Amino acid sequence: MLAVAIAIGFVILSLLSPAFLTEYNLYVMLRSFCVVLVVAFAQMLTLAVGQLNLAIGALGGLVAIAVGGMMEKLGFPISAAVGLGLLIGLGGGLANGLLTVRTGINGFIITLATASVFTGINLGVTESIPFYNLPGPFVAFGVGRFFAVPYLLIPPVLAALLLALFLARTAPGRYLLAVGGNAHAAELSGIPRDRIIVLAHALSGLLAAIGAILAEAQLGSAQPTIGADWLVMSFAAPIIGGAALTGGHISVAATALAVVLVVLIQNGMVLAKVDPYWVQFLLGALILAAVGLNRLRAVRVEAA
Amino acid sequence: MSLASDIELRSGRRAWLSEQSGAIGLAGIVIIFWIVFASWAPGFVSPFNLFAISRTLAIDIVIGFSTMVVLATGGMNLAIGAIGVCSVMLAGYLMQKLGVPYPLALTVALLLGALLGWANGVAIVRSGVNSFIITLASASLYTGGMLILSKAVIYNALPPAIAAFGRMRFGFVSPLLIVALAIGAALVVLFRFTALGREILAAGANARAAQLSGVPVSRAIIVAHTLSGLLAAAAGLMLLSRLGAAMPSIGEDWLLPSFLAPVLGGALLSGGSISVVGAMIGALLVTTIRSGLLIMQVGNFWLLLFLGMMLLLAVLLDRYRTVYAERRSLGRRA
Repeated sequence: MLAVAIAIGFVILSLLSPAFLTEYNLYVMLRSFCVVLVVAFAQMLTLAVGQLNLAIGALGGLVAIAVGGMMEKLGFPISAAVGLGLLIGLGGGLANGLLTVRTGINGFIITLATASVFTGINLGVTESIPFYNLPGPFVAFGVGRFFAVPYLLIPPVLAALLLALFLARTAPGRYLLAVGGNAHAAELSGIPRDRIIVLAHALSGLLAAIGAILAEAQLGSAQPTIGADWLVMSFAAPIIGGAALTGGHISVAATALAVVLVVLIQNGMVLAKVDPYWVQFLLGALILAAVGLNRLRAVRVEAA
Repeated sequence: MSLASDIELRSGRRAWLSEQSGAIGLAGIVIIFWIVFASWAPGFVSPFNLFAISRTLAIDIVIGFSTMVVLATGGMNLAIGAIGVCSVMLAGYLMQKLGVPYPLALTVALLLGALLGWANGVAIVRSGVNSFIITLASASLYTGGMLILSKAVIYNALPPAIAAFGRMRFGFVSPLLIVALAIGAALVVLFRFTALGREILAAGANARAAQLSGVPVSRAIIVAHTLSGLLAAAAGLMLLSRLGAAMPSIGEDWLLPSFLAPVLGGALLSGGSISVVGAMIGALLVTTIRSGLLIMQVGNFWLLLFLGMMLLLAVLLDRYRTVYAERRSLGRRA
């Protein structure tokens, strides 16, 4: 159904706006697709085990300035800075997971608190001043393209494939879905529930870090505000893609399609020169519509 | 029947005691912070700063109440900031553009808050979807709608009475704080002495059990969200009076304090247990730390780090207290 909506949107936009199908516009669209996709995956993994992660954006912001600072102020090579940035993301996610599991406190409060800690460190260190002088090759990667395909698209697509393989083919991936589907049953059948929840949070942190580094390459600078507006988007795509908040029902493909739909709508509104405030409004409306549709479907299944 | 009510009374008293022990401990922490700040930074207890604290405290308290009333049902409301700013902007528009007298404009703005909260409640009850998702979406919807309609302008030519109220002072106490305390008193009455308040708590403690014993759970949830919207609007209008202008950026940073105050004050996220006094002391702790760090010129940048650590520490301590209490009561029974 998502695919149909996307196809219809695509046809309408290409009929209405001659600018839509130009190579440059496709490139712009694919480029804005990258960060959102990875961020949506980050949230999808915590949703999969029935958890929420409010700290994705905050952790992303921290990783972005850490990577920027390491490259600009400390003169680290790109690979080392990016590698350490990914480790920070993994570590932050691990901390979220361990705190949630060890204390038994709702993940919402834990990640609300850690989000504030991450943002606090970010602002305390940078005092809101971005790093502008990033190494040339790093920035070049952010703007480079092969016809309409940005190089920036490579990491998210790789992440999507690996994630799909992980969830479908590996034992931890299957466990992850099992824990989300029914934590109690999963535990009774010998799945280490706590360890799987920690794993989901850690991977979520890693994906947030990837998103942050992509955003940094895309912008060409390390802004402390990277991630500040990720919250709604991170939930929107998995939910429009049909992830139930109770866990277990996630799909890499459906989440990716939902991101395509959102990016398409955004692009259409830019082409139509609509007030950008409408994007925020529509995003809220889309989530509510998706929730309503899911509910309708569930009712129909129950009735049948 | 008498046995049941006896048990209820006893468990009620025990809950009340454990609630108060939390509030007393929290008050102790607040006092320690006051001593530390007052001795390190003499400006902290100057009349000027005390007045500033009383103004911010009033708003922090009401923001905390707004989340607290939905925590009572076991839900949450991420749209508090969005509802607050919608009410503020409507009030600003009515007063500045249409010349509506301010009592009427403020009333209409409060009603808008209640209406938006009511819409949240209805959507949650009708869809059966987690309140987190519904209010996350509606926050985006409300803020987006407000920006589309207002074009993000600032209304700063408001009737002078609005800003005058924010500047008014009795000694070093702002009348805003009196408003907040009055709202607190009303909430104590609601949750302790009225059937409606009891129903909201029962719905939060165990929705199924409440339903089976005849509590209209859906109605309780809708009422709680309506009240939350009304309180968010009230907090917004109090901030409007403090700032003297209606700004579209109001409410953006309310999420953390809105949870901090009631959670520090001992409210359970799973619902059914809240403390009005605890939430007020929780808000006092947040305001104290914020003001202290400002006076000591640590700067706003590190503030978030401190608040986040506070929240973590508070929930960890609370967890420890619960485990300890359980162990003790088990030991006594054995």
